[in-house]
Amino acid sequence: MNFDWSVVWHNAGALVEGTKLTVLLAVTTMAIAIPGGILLAVMRLSRVRVLAVASASFTELFRNLPLILVIYTAYYVMPVATGLSLSPVVTGIIALSLNVAAYNGETFRAGIASIRMGQSEAAYALGMTRWQTMRDVVLPQAVRRVLPVLASTWVSLFKDTSLVSVISVAELAYTSMRVRSQTFRVLEMLTAMAAIYWMLGYPQAKLVDWINRRYSVKE
Amino acid sequence: MDSAGFLLGGLELTLALSLLTMLSSLILGGAIGLARCYGPAWLRWPLVFYIDSMRSVPVFVVLVWTYFALPLLTGVILPPFWAALAALTAHVAAYVAEIVRAGVTSIRPGQSRAAFALGMSRSQAVRTIILPQAVVRMLPAFGSILSITIKDTAIAAVIAVPEYMNKSQTVAGQSFHPIEVFLVAMAVYFIILFPVTRVVDMIYARVAYLGRS
Amino acid sequence: MDTADPTTLRKGSSQAPVLVYRNVVKRFAGFVALAGVSAEVRKGEVVCLIGPSGSGKSTLLRCTNGLELIDDGEIMFDGELLPRDWEGMRRVRQRMGMVFQNFELFPHKTALGNVTIGPTTVLGLSREAAEKRARALLEKVGLADKAASYPSQLSGGEQQRVAIARALDMEPEVMLFDEPTSALDPETIGEVLNVMTQLAREGMTMIVVTHEMTFARLVGDWIVVMDRGAIIEQGPPKQIFEAPTVERTRDFLSHLGWSG
Repeated sequence: MNFDWSVVWHNAGALVEGTKLTVLLAVTTMAIAIPGGILLAVMRLSRVRVLAVASASFTELFRNLPLILVIYTAYYVMPVATGLSLSPVVTGIIALSLNVAAYNGETFRAGIASIRMGQSEAAYALGMTRWQTMRDVVLPQAVRRVLPVLASTWVSLFKDTSLVSVISVAELAYTSMRVRSQTFRVLEMLTAMAAIYWMLGYPQAKLVDWINRRYSVKE
Repeated sequence: MDSAGFLLGGLELTLALSLLTMLSSLILGGAIGLARCYGPAWLRWPLVFYIDSMRSVPVFVVLVWTYFALPLLTGVILPPFWAALAALTAHVAAYVAEIVRAGVTSIRPGQSRAAFALGMSRSQAVRTIILPQAVVRMLPAFGSILSITIKDTAIAAVIAVPEYMNKSQTVAGQSFHPIEVFLVAMAVYFIILFPVTRVVDMIYARVAYLGRS
Repeated sequence: MDTADPTTLRKGSSQAPVLVYRNVVKRFAGFVALAGVSAEVRKGEVVCLIGPSGSGKSTLLRCTNGLELIDDGEIMFDGELLPRDWEGMRRVRQRMGMVFQNFELFPHKTALGNVTIGPTTVLGLSREAAEKRARALLEKVGLADKAASYPSQLSGGEQQRVAIARALDMEPEVMLFDEPTSALDPETIGEVLNVMTQLAREGMTMIVVTHEMTFARLVGDWIVVMDRGAIIEQGPPKQIFEAPTVERTRDFLSHLGWSG
């Protein structure tokens, strides 16, 4: 049983590129899924039944589907549904965004609900409209309140980017697996993949713990 | 529609893998969680390291490493189902351990003090006073873990475990209607997961008042 | 259930009343909070609503600015019926100010930010104009130096004074106070009551739900005593506090340790 760990070093460039794409996927997805989540939460609280039901259905759907299935379905459905041939990266981002937006929708909904009724009443008493109240009084407080949860969601998202490797997006997992196939260095490459995710993920997990501690003392 | 029978076999495996994983994670995770709370001090740091590592690494990576790399290290070749079970258990147990720790530490210290004042030993206090209350608080979180476990079994498809996701891919590849196959898959998973989520929400609502202290 | 109403003695009785309540009924999930309340508020009057908890005082106040909609009866503001639609009521709310028991300052804004948010958002005032006006009001309530402070940095009494400034910045015709001092430490109650007294002297029409009987006695022009959703007695402070005609009023006042 001989192991050649130098293969990791020789392919470091590819692994770095893969890591960059992993980060890009996560950042782009969050950039879409945070406004998306806020939109879903506001829709859910709307007095317009159609919007509230649409939002609730969307959230229920994506909370109850495995992400890997959503990714595969997006890959096959999107070209047919839109008539465009989208790159795997874009398809992956769409699937991830739908998934994370649903979770964020729940997060923001709970955050908004946690803001005391009195805050809205004070705004109404000044003559503010419902939308002005949401925009200037409730949402700013709700967003601050749910930051710890959003941080946890970020860490999960970062890990979930590994799933888009199944539709050939060249992020870290795909790249590591590809080098493994090319070099036959299975243990070395897979361990390197695990180690890189660990090195990136461990500090993030610890940061989330810190954020949770700091924020729970505040209230 | 002979694919129906084929897919049904996959569904059986999905459920079997989910339930077995849940069972073994509860046992392993419960043990780790309790060891963290009540075990010797030297044990804590390796356990925390294990838990934090499982939080940091994707399930996909753990599955793939267990199936492809572990045999090269240990010489033991695990068939796909068992490799998946081992990997998923290792991963989920970390979350269970955290839930157990959070549940136990959420019980007011006054409760243990009252138990000791009555003359109970540490293990009696934990068994009869702390754990019953803590378990009630943990139930909603365990429900969430069940939901996550079922979803994670779908990832086992990539290491050739013939569960539902894997079989759907096979059928999709052979038929020329991948969209239909995946839409059916979405319906099947939704039908399994929706009740679990609903029951979890219901338990949250019931337990909320019990959990208040 | 009105007692004899010596209207000729009431302040502001030469003009039409600002607010008229006629047989106002409000129900909540099977229990009756207001069981046919009739009363008037005159311009420049300080009306104090007193009574035991659960008597409907706060409910009546909240129905006045539409935070609750009444189930039966009428409320007239400035001679017109209160609208039942949200947008119509919103416009009325701009003409009334409300001060809450829990202050309800917006924690993510400074004192100045809290005071300016009404005029800038609702009235469309520019930042500079709003800030100028806000600073003058903060000066008036004695908190000019706290303009840049956040609510978490202020004491209860200071927060409530900012809340009063916030309500005043909309230049309301009526100020509604919902137990403004109930959540305050005894040391800070005085500073808030002083601001309210000053407002009263300047001629603001005020409806105050309060347990501060000294304030009601000294600053109030008209006292309304409520119990279980109905007005059991109303009249000038001198009459209510020195010679209440209804048994329940006497009971209530004696329980508060009020000996006149």
